[in-house]
Amino acid sequence: MATIQVHKKYAFKWYEKFYFMSISAGLWVTLKHFFKSALLRRMVTVSYPEKKKPLSSRFRGLHRLKRNEKGQERCTACYCCQWVCPADAIQIIAAEVPADKQYLHPEDKFAKSFQVDLLRCIYCGLCEEACPKGAIYLDGGMPMPADSRDGLILDKAKMMETTGGAIIGERN
Amino acid sequence: MAKIFVDGTEYEVDEEKNLIDALSEKGVEIPHFCYHSKLSVVGMCRICLIEVEGVPKFQAACNTPVKEGMKINAFGEKIVKAREGVMEFLLINHPLDCPVCDKAGECRLQNYSFSLGHETTRYKEEKRNIPQEKIGTNLLINHNRCILCYRCVRFDREIVGVNDLEMLARGNDTIIAYTPPETSTEKSTYLNHNYQGALADVCPVGALLNENTLFQSRVWWYESKESICHGCSTLCKVTTNVKNNALYRYMPPQKPQQDGYFICDFGRFSGKDFSQDRLHTYALNGTKATSKEALPALAEKIAAAKKILVLGGATESCDDVDAIESEIKTWRAAGKDVVWDFRTDKDAFAAAKDWDFLLSRDVRPNAKYLRDKNAAQLTDYAAIEKEIRAADLIIVVGELAAPFAYQTGEIHANVKGLRIAEKVEDTALFDSLNSATAWNKVALFTTHDNTAAELAAIAIPMLVFPEKSGRFIDKAGNAKTTTPVLTHVQGLESPAQILARLKSAALPAGAAV
Repeated sequence: MATIQVHKKYAFKWYEKFYFMSISAGLWVTLKHFFKSALLRRMVTVSYPEKKKPLSSRFRGLHRLKRNEKGQERCTACYCCQWVCPADAIQIIAAEVPADKQYLHPEDKFAKSFQVDLLRCIYCGLCEEACPKGAIYLDGGMPMPADSRDGLILDKAKMMETTGGAIIGERN
Repeated sequence: MAKIFVDGTEYEVDEEKNLIDALSEKGVEIPHFCYHSKLSVVGMCRICLIEVEGVPKFQAACNTPVKEGMKINAFGEKIVKAREGVMEFLLINHPLDCPVCDKAGECRLQNYSFSLGHETTRYKEEKRNIPQEKIGTNLLINHNRCILCYRCVRFDREIVGVNDLEMLARGNDTIIAYTPPETSTEKSTYLNHNYQGALADVCPVGALLNENTLFQSRVWWYESKESICHGCSTLCKVTTNVKNNALYRYMPPQKPQQDGYFICDFGRFSGKDFSQDRLHTYALNGTKATSKEALPALAEKIAAAKKILVLGGATESCDDVDAIESEIKTWRAAGKDVVWDFRTDKDAFAAAKDWDFLLSRDVRPNAKYLRDKNAAQLTDYAAIEKEIRAADLIIVVGELAAPFAYQTGEIHANVKGLRIAEKVEDTALFDSLNSATAWNKVALFTTHDNTAAELAAIAIPMLVFPEKSGRFIDKAGNAKTTTPVLTHVQGLESPAQILARLKSAALPAGAAV
């Protein structure tokens, strides 16, 4: 079958055939960044994990369970986050607060076990939104590497390392 | 019948009935907390306020008799405003801690707070704070949530017939408390009757809670189906609460007007055992075996036996019982001496009348059917022990397995006189088999993997009550059908199916059943 050439091929001018213009323009970009970083110390990259760049205040990372001003756990195991989680990443087991631990909890019910499976989590932030107590926030920064699947399941101890904001509804 | 007008609409209602009941039959729901169809009227909550034409003040609907031609304003502007006010008063001391409350989802106060109440409160003062306490063996009371509707006290007095609960103090300090009568001979620290689950049920708020199911699930996660309770031969209609293929509890039926308002603790909380420690394989002397090994072994034993004792069977449906009966007939025709009794407990022989107004004396679902089948051939428990020693083969069907023979320790059904073993080792039948060293003669049709299944010569796994659908006969002689609510492990069969396979089992040469 015969083909019709519609596109007309660009014909280079004679001086364009030497490519001087393009090569020097490209080299100029390279040299500009070389001078910027090597001589003027304006690096674009950082040497992660020793150095870290600041994250946006809205960045959603690792989950943190918060405490209130008195140092009590805010989570009361109401299952709202587990219910709303679209990825089924949260597993809670609730229990009644024993008498000797009453000072650690504002209510009678607490989460005996609170696990977040990071392999399932899609960091959508719905748990944060659903929580009526301001107990869970995804302000823990970037997910940490782990060498096993178990290492990627957050438990209560890992999530409660920080005390959290002073007011309910506040992120770190 | 009387004609009344509700907000201008004419209704023809039963004048014998209470106004709330009579209108609810016609589809008009007047909100109420303290009113209960089976309890006396006190008119304490005031949420059922209505305006009756010709009467200057608002009336409580629960305490207003139906009168021919009466004109009621039940949902008008004035009434809605009045109910909003009542709601505000009821919520003064209520903590509104629905996220932590176990009742959330089946709470009248929660529903009415949404539909009738305000979203904000004007109450700035400090709410009263009284710590939660345990008042029953399976009952907690949270005084802060209580709206003092008096339902629990009335239920205890009028339905159960004990005088254990009382309202103490006055005004803002009023609480419901456990006050055992001083004249009672047995002093108990806790309320201990068989209707603590029903007490938590009649409570319209989250004040009375059952410790047994506390914080184990949120109510809206349960899958509910209509079925019947396995607990005794009363066979109450119930709603099942299933989550993750485990039966958490039974609840009263959807249509209580015809099926009954209350169920007892004995049935209500024993369902959890059905999904724990199940036997999934055949076993010969405690070692796992296949049905191709176990069934011929059983057939051989039956062929060799001269005297067979069959115990149990009342936990199975009518079809299964028929299959067992026809097997027994063939054995008898073959010249064997077969004794069949479904009772395996001293209590079962001794009890002459029902344990209480619901719990039947036969705590096996199909006991009535077996009585009619002449499966109660022994006179007392000593006769069972004698038969155990004399028999060549003992076939146990459904006994020695939870929850029919025993209930786990955490289930508190406090029935005076009824002993419930905590483990299989505590049951009378286990004891008798042990002392007679009869385990090598036992063929056990069981559901649970326990010591009895390990010791028995042949253990045969079978389906449990909520996994199959079957016909059962209650103590009054009515046939009732169960609904399968749990999914069973593939390969498990009912006794009728197993016995059908036993007939076709390849027998060793020379043996004849």
